Amino acid sequence: MPREIDLLGFYMPTLLPLFIVAFALQWRIDGWLGRLGFYTHVWHPALFRFSVLLGLFAGCGLLLYR
Amino acid sequence: MRFKSLLRFAATAAIFAVAVSAALALWRHYMYAPWTRDGRVKADVISLAPDVAGLVVEVPVHENQAVQRGEVLLRIDADRYRLALEQAQAALAARQADYALKRREAARRAALAGEVVSSESRESAAAAAEAAAGLYREALAARDTAALNLQRTEVRAPVDGYVTNLDIYPGDYAAAGRPFLALVDSHSFRVNGYFEETKLPGLHAGDPVSIRLMSGGPLLRGHVDSLSRGITDRDNPPGPRLLADVNPTFNWVRLAQRVPVRIAIDQVPAGVVLAAGMTCTVVVEPPAKSGRDG
Repeated sequence: MPREIDLLGFYMPTLLPLFIVAFALQWRIDGWLGRLGFYTHVWHPALFRFSVLLGLFAGCGLLLYR
Repeated sequence: MRFKSLLRFAATAAIFAVAVSAALALWRHYMYAPWTRDGRVKADVISLAPDVAGLVVEVPVHENQAVQRGEVLLRIDADRYRLALEQAQAALAARQADYALKRREAARRAALAGEVVSSESRESAAAAAEAAAGLYREALAARDTAALNLQRTEVRAPVDGYVTNLDIYPGDYAAAGRPFLALVDSHSFRVNGYFEETKLPGLHAGDPVSIRLMSGGPLLRGHVDSLSRGITDRDNPPGPRLLADVNPTFNWVRLAQRVPVRIAIDQVPAGVVLAAGMTCTVVVEPPAKSGRDG
């Protein structure tokens, strides 16, 4: 996968669109977990949400750089 | 109840720890793994200039043409140089005749008995012959120079390459030493990767490299050739009288400087056209996959 991506003529690190992808994914997962009532079993929902976002982004990024 | 709340805490803490360690690994990759988006294709560019001045009569090449070593790129009006050669040859003939005469004269006087000519006359004849020999050699060198000038009215390609920025046309007056085209050496293409200094420990001469041009297309293969051993200290230029001129401000927040790394291109896929100055992304692949962040 290229480490630099062309978005409408702007060349940027692929990490930037990956972050947006991770954010969208987290949004979906968050809504889904909320409907299931998962967050009642979580100690600190905000920290949990942040960790999911960070994990998704870093995971995608590591896949890119492998 | 107490066990359940402990479990809730542990689950959150665990996913947090996983996320943080993944983020750290990504950070190490981004900051210290030897790759850069700041790569440039480079080539030797020879700015060709004629060695002799004169009117341009023919430019047998056109812009961007591939030329072989030794091919004629420019012809300068040779008439003047042909005449100069003729003149030098005539002068040489005159000097040669003079030299022969003086030499015979000296030999004749030297052969005569001691009393017939004075030793002063003998000596002066010998000296005149030597002077004539010197003038003859001078004329010889002038003839060779004239021949060389005539030969240099044809400018030839010193290497195989591509004609670039052709800026001369028949009828122009070509001044000696004024470049008229840039010749890009076709065997000298390479990549300069500008790596942050924090990434340098992760790359070594000989490491395989993959190169992705900004224009896309298949990857180029190469290897690390060498590392530049010096960059300018931007903050501390030498002051007057060779004294240091140390910048009194020091940035608290600062960025790693970049050091050029020369990368030899081993293989260019068919259909990929390289031009000196192209941008590329350079990824050094350490041969041993031991260091996970390397």
